[in-house]
Amino acid sequence: MQVKTFKGGTHPPEKKELAKDVPIEYHLSPKQVVIHLNQHTGAPNQPLVKVGDKVSRGQKIASSEGKLMIPHHASICGVVKKIEPRPQANLQDGVAIVIEADGRTEEAFLPPLDPFACTRAEAIERIKEAGIVGMGGAGFPAWMKLSPPPTKPIDLVIANGAECEPYLTIDYRTLKEQAPSVVYGLGVCLQVLGVKRGIIAIEDNKIDLVPILAEAVTDFLKGPGAGKGFDISIRVLKTKYPQGGEKMLITALTGREVPSGGLPMDVGTVVQNVGTLKAIAEAFLQGKPLIDRGFTATGSACKTPKNLVVPIGTVLSDLIPDVIQIGEDLRRVIFGGPMMGVSVPTLEIPIQKNTSGVVFMDSREALVYEEGTCIRCGRCIQACSCRLSPALLNEAILANDWDLADKLGLLDCIECGTCSYVCPAHVYLVQRFRVGKLTLRAVKAAKTKKGGN
Amino acid sequence: MAEKPRLLLSSSPSIYSGMNVQRLMLFVIIALLPTTLYGVYLYGMPALTTVLVSILSCVFFEVTFRKLTKAKQNYKDLSAIVTGILLALVLPPSTPWWMTVIGALASIVVAKEFFGGLGHNPFNPALIGRAVLLMSFPAALTTWHKPFQAIADATTTATPLNIIKLGGTLSDVAQSLGVTQPADVYLTLFLGNRAGCIGESSILLILVGGIFLLATGTIRIITPLSMILTAFLFSLLLGMDPLFQILSGGLVFGAVFMATDYVSTPLTPKGKILFGVGAGIITMLIRKFGGFPEGTSYGILIMNAFTPYLNTLVTKKYGYVSGRNNP
Repeated sequence: MQVKTFKGGTHPPEKKELAKDVPIEYHLSPKQVVIHLNQHTGAPNQPLVKVGDKVSRGQKIASSEGKLMIPHHASICGVVKKIEPRPQANLQDGVAIVIEADGRTEEAFLPPLDPFACTRAEAIERIKEAGIVGMGGAGFPAWMKLSPPPTKPIDLVIANGAECEPYLTIDYRTLKEQAPSVVYGLGVCLQVLGVKRGIIAIEDNKIDLVPILAEAVTDFLKGPGAGKGFDISIRVLKTKYPQGGEKMLITALTGREVPSGGLPMDVGTVVQNVGTLKAIAEAFLQGKPLIDRGFTATGSACKTPKNLVVPIGTVLSDLIPDVIQIGEDLRRVIFGGPMMGVSVPTLEIPIQKNTSGVVFMDSREALVYEEGTCIRCGRCIQACSCRLSPALLNEAILANDWDLADKLGLLDCIECGTCSYVCPAHVYLVQRFRVGKLTLRAVKAAKTKKGGN
Repeated sequence: MAEKPRLLLSSSPSIYSGMNVQRLMLFVIIALLPTTLYGVYLYGMPALTTVLVSILSCVFFEVTFRKLTKAKQNYKDLSAIVTGILLALVLPPSTPWWMTVIGALASIVVAKEFFGGLGHNPFNPALIGRAVLLMSFPAALTTWHKPFQAIADATTTATPLNIIKLGGTLSDVAQSLGVTQPADVYLTLFLGNRAGCIGESSILLILVGGIFLLATGTIRIITPLSMILTAFLFSLLLGMDPLFQILSGGLVFGAVFMATDYVSTPLTPKGKILFGVGAGIITMLIRKFGGFPEGTSYGILIMNAFTPYLNTLVTKKYGYVSGRNNP
């Protein structure tokens, strides 16, 4: 099998050995959950419940009318205690519904639905009603990806199991332990989109999954996916960061490049994280909304690196110390992986729909560097996954030359952080680009406005 | 009870490759060691003195300048040491020590610190040092000695490039190198037992250093390759002996250690190729038509001036393919 990849990228230490071989543990009865209204791309939801209401696991508690509408559900049975702003992994500290467990075990799930028998509209409605968002990190509503406009024909669905972020192993464990669910979810996407070709993509550090996935695919094609003409293959990619980025994944597998400012659907592809596919499968097979999720708790300051499934909204500090034990020397907590994850100021933060891991770092590992001067070594240019020139972009931003920054492709930066990772002078490259993108958008908007007068 | 240290907050990434400027400079120093030691072996104390004086003055000037201008001290990044070694290696072994000091002053203060220090210098500091000395003391900078002879009382000689420049033949070079067959000239030049600057003579040891730099990922092969290839083809075009042109003078040294200087050469792959092409052509034009027998340092310095333009030749960005590239 030919191992493919994209141009650029880097090889951070994987550190996946910490939690790779620890089977997923289920801890589904926290004493409370904190469910934020804005844990997805799109307008924040409005609560459908009020303080004092009794809610059951799976009950819809928040929704909105917006275009990117995605509802949220109660992940435990309990009583709504508060609706107020709470600390959040994206540091926005948005409004959250706080539910205190009351010991009941009722489940208010949707009725099971056969995705291969129902209409396309019914299937999309189900995925939407189940509140499923991209679980790899971005939090983009899954149903949106499955509803491309007719002008954008799709011919390929990719199950993203690359998991290129160091430390994180939840996608690996999900594929290892629940391959049939993931394959079923992929089948649902193929069915909904009317596409025949599906690919399950993994990096070659997870090559032991190939026989497991092959068996799951064979079973699916003989079972629920029989007679549909599906062509599902397993593809192994080079282990390289950021191989799991949608654009890099598509290019490695198909040679197509997502156009600047475009989406995967512009090149006929849809990419879904394997955790998302598992959630889609459960939404049909069990009628279960997205109320639990897996994540990896790991890092140098984590005494118990492991993979967990908890109800969404479980507060990190409630898992400590019964489930996760933390060393004395804790200096950094990252929601997500170390390359793109967000460092948070407190442990009072709930696991969200897009929390793929929590990395605890001790003082030896948690380092910050003073910014040095660019020595123009060009490492960032070699490593940039979007073939941009970070060193030159940095200069343009420092000079406030927004036309040049735009020309150099600032808005094409996917913020993967590879440039900052490889920079020997510790120039704050991706950090400056994040802020720079916002400024450039504002500058452009101001210009358009002026032009209109 | 002592307050618990607060959690560290910073924008991702939260891990780094571990590569830093100091380590890169150390790699360059290590790569320069073989040819430096060989230079000292060929020319003895005068060469060693030049190297040490150059390093010490470069570090001294950097530290003093930064102290006087109340700038942050950067000597730990080792870049002044690299400049010091590079400057010494492109000087004749008999250079008086005070000239070396002046060269170091030009390199560090004029070429580097006046522009803001490491990362900001448009021209290669060591080559500026050499250029200033060559203009100020042309006689001393073109006085050469045969290897393994005490410089104080030995007669001077001509470099192989000198001999050719003055209309000599390969046989004349062979005679000067003390080999019988003109064909042996190439091997002798490759191994390095000839008159010239301290560090430029042994192509073999320069390549050893270059391979180390490539293996550690310190430099990329693009610029040296395009410079040497261009010089080869262009000298052929000018009716010169291309192999002799490559093996003599400072071409390979310049291509490996000067044209790969981070700050003064282009960042982009396309820019690197054109830099090498330009430097190769200018070097050969000077050797063929110019007033000096050697043109490598000016070839690189002139191309340094083109670097800002060459940096605008960026690679095609991701996502700018025309049309929808479906299978």
